[in-house]
Amino acid sequence: MTHYLLRRLLAMPFLLLGVVTMAFLLGNFVKGDPLASLLTDRQMDNPMVVAAVKARWGLDKPIPQRYAIYIRNLAQGDLGVSFRTKRPVLRDLLDRLPATLELVLCAMTFGSLVGTALGVAAAHWRNRLADHGARLVALIGSSVPVFWSGLIALYVFSVQFSWLPGPGRLDPALRPPETVTGFYTIDALIAGDWVIFQNALAHLVLPSVMLGWAVLGIISRMVRATMLDVMQEDYIITAKAKGAGTLRVLLRHALRNAMVPALTIIGFSFAYLITGAILTETVFSWPGVGSYAVDAARSLDHPAIIGVTIVGALAFLLANLLTDIAYVFANPRIRLE
Amino acid sequence: MKPGIRTSSKSRNALRYMALAAAAALPLSLPSGALAQSDTIVIARDTDFNTLDPSRSWCDTCQIYLTAVYEQLVRVGTDNESIVPRLATDWSVSADGLTYTFNLDPKAVFSDGSPVEAKDVAFSLMRLKNLKGGASFLAEGIDAADTPNAQTVVVTLSAPDPEFLGKASAPYGAIMNSDVVAEHGAKAGADADSTDQGEAWLLENSAGSGAYVLDSYRPDDELRLVVNPNYYRTAPDASTIVMREAQDAVSQMQMLQSGGADIAMQVDPDTARSTTAEGVTTELVPSYNFIYVALSPGAKGLEVPLTPKIREAIGLAIDYEGILEFTTGGAADLIASPIPTGFPGTSGLPMPVQDVAKAKALLAEAGSPNGFSMVAAYPETNIYGVDLSTMMQKIQQDLSKVGVQLQLEPVTFAVWRERVGGDHIPMTAVYFAPDFYGSGQYVGYFGMVPGVPWYNRAGGDDADGLANAKMQELMEAVRTVAPADAPGLYNQMALEMIKDRVIIPLINPKLVLAYRNGITGVRNAVCCNLPLEELSKN
Repeated sequence: MTHYLLRRLLAMPFLLLGVVTMAFLLGNFVKGDPLASLLTDRQMDNPMVVAAVKARWGLDKPIPQRYAIYIRNLAQGDLGVSFRTKRPVLRDLLDRLPATLELVLCAMTFGSLVGTALGVAAAHWRNRLADHGARLVALIGSSVPVFWSGLIALYVFSVQFSWLPGPGRLDPALRPPETVTGFYTIDALIAGDWVIFQNALAHLVLPSVMLGWAVLGIISRMVRATMLDVMQEDYIITAKAKGAGTLRVLLRHALRNAMVPALTIIGFSFAYLITGAILTETVFSWPGVGSYAVDAARSLDHPAIIGVTIVGALAFLLANLLTDIAYVFANPRIRLE
Repeated sequence: MKPGIRTSSKSRNALRYMALAAAAALPLSLPSGALAQSDTIVIARDTDFNTLDPSRSWCDTCQIYLTAVYEQLVRVGTDNESIVPRLATDWSVSADGLTYTFNLDPKAVFSDGSPVEAKDVAFSLMRLKNLKGGASFLAEGIDAADTPNAQTVVVTLSAPDPEFLGKASAPYGAIMNSDVVAEHGAKAGADADSTDQGEAWLLENSAGSGAYVLDSYRPDDELRLVVNPNYYRTAPDASTIVMREAQDAVSQMQMLQSGGADIAMQVDPDTARSTTAEGVTTELVPSYNFIYVALSPGAKGLEVPLTPKIREAIGLAIDYEGILEFTTGGAADLIASPIPTGFPGTSGLPMPVQDVAKAKALLAEAGSPNGFSMVAAYPETNIYGVDLSTMMQKIQQDLSKVGVQLQLEPVTFAVWRERVGGDHIPMTAVYFAPDFYGSGQYVGYFGMVPGVPWYNRAGGDDADGLANAKMQELMEAVRTVAPADAPGLYNQMALEMIKDRVIIPLINPKLVLAYRNGITGVRNAVCCNLPLEELSKN
């Protein structure tokens, strides 16, 4: 397994270079004026101002030269300066990634746990009320658009009943904790600030549930399907015959084998949500990577577009790798070679 | 041991764990308003900051920030019209209109306690000009800014400009502490556009003399201001202002209703109407923003030339009142010319009217009795509560009644910019908000005179007869006329722009002010959208 992991890790930089090159070329050849985010409408007809802006941002250089400069800087960890925020892209991403990771981890935890539980229940009580109920919950999660469900959830839980707070990561009256990890919950605990911890956790509930609900549907359907297959295996019948309890049979014997395909879904879902949680981030005013990506795309913010592409590519590569490793633990018969 | 399901102890444990989790979750149910401090005001807004550097900034939210944290030489008063002293207590203008002498308030100090001096004014104005950034056109006409003494600034213009004071009142004319910003790489010399490094510091710090100082800024998340400890005027009531990012009107309204925000700045009339909440006030106020369509006679690929008769026909075919109702539910006004009502020169201008019969007759006279088809590309955006796609669909319906078929092409802003400046767009829709109180900005942007932005975008050099010689004469005349006579000339220029029918203003949307009861000082100010130092919270 060590050789396998080393090979995968060594291949990553080359894969990323390919992704960066594609993103760079696409960004520079797509229709649209990148000066739109650098220059006001009033000034776009002023040749002196246009020339000054192009020179400042390197847009007066030919594309191959810009590519070479970008790759050279990238090798030194410099992802350039965002046209839109005017800050280093790396800094923007380091600010936003923890926000997204915090949200996605909570969403995936909710989606995975509840989705798995629903899948197991649906398989165990196949064609009975629990099965239909579980599938209905999954269907709703997969089909109801989050920009609608999110707003409804905010209206009900925050506005009408004041059970949960509104959009954002923290109440405006509170200052964010000193950054250690960028996760407000963890940083608040590190700082010993219980009020901020509670508030940050409360703000996580609604967006995590809305985001996780969409993932829950896919996971529960996958788990149900694989559990139904696994429950027909001889070792399951043997376990029951030996007097093993229902929970033991379901969780220790069946689920462990049924989870292998579900791990793939979980891995892909996690990677996808890193840059794909845009609607949730918009509804809940969550300053994450998804909304940064969309704003970058809309304004042809080339450095930010490539930066987000790198993040997305890394997320998929690492998620694939971790999923492969998880297979080994989930099923010892699997060998990574 | 008997075989069977042995879950009773596990079930009890599971129940215990669930009860513990529920108990732990109880403290999470802390509504937003419970933590609100009495002197912190939270504003929910789709912040559109392009930067916090005054000399490079250009956005609506920037105007709010710059007038809260910095001061200008002069400011537009609460009547949204007159120029009143600010850092300059008084000023004089030479007879030839080229020299402005400002005397500074000796009491004015920056947030670090150092006095505001003439060198700071000179530095800030020249940096604005020489960075060639967003608002540099406001200072383009400045030849020099001299400082005969610490309290006097002499600004020399390259040509008379009766609206120079209006430009100086713009938020982008913010006066910075030159010593501090220069220490952090800011430059004001002629080569500042290639040597200045001050922006990075100004994204995290402020160096102004306004009521507030920058506490923290996280793009797309939050801007936090705290009261300036050395503010030399009456301290504002709110010790902290938090501008919290909220991209859509519904989210903003929900924040207002739940107490998570005190002011919501971009609620559209529909959302305001459909929301009833205790403790929230919504009111409609006039604005100076407007949305218009523009025709480009010089655009490539026109099926028929957009001659004056064709343009007039298009203008007459539009159902103006219907558009107001369709897009804003009536929460908007008509606008006569590309100068907003209330600005100098706009009194007595004729409002646009629909006349389908005359439109058809004009099309027939122009040789297109059966109409023609035309591309209409526009930014796909919702601005000032108006969805441009909805508006263009209404226009499409109106024009189809006279035989003009529009092919609608909503595009991103970046694509729109490329097309409007490239091959030009036969018909487009876009918006304009004032940069300062003055009509010159409109004639200098919309007038059909070579070199003016919309003349270029209309393909003026490729369209015979588009240049308006009378407009050019009027634009030159207004430079040297006495200020009291300027409105008369602007009125004539407005009439010329109406006659040109290249820019057809459609909607002057009202603004919704939405705020929690107990908040005072909320108003729409032409100086800066929302003057933060006037806000207070009971």
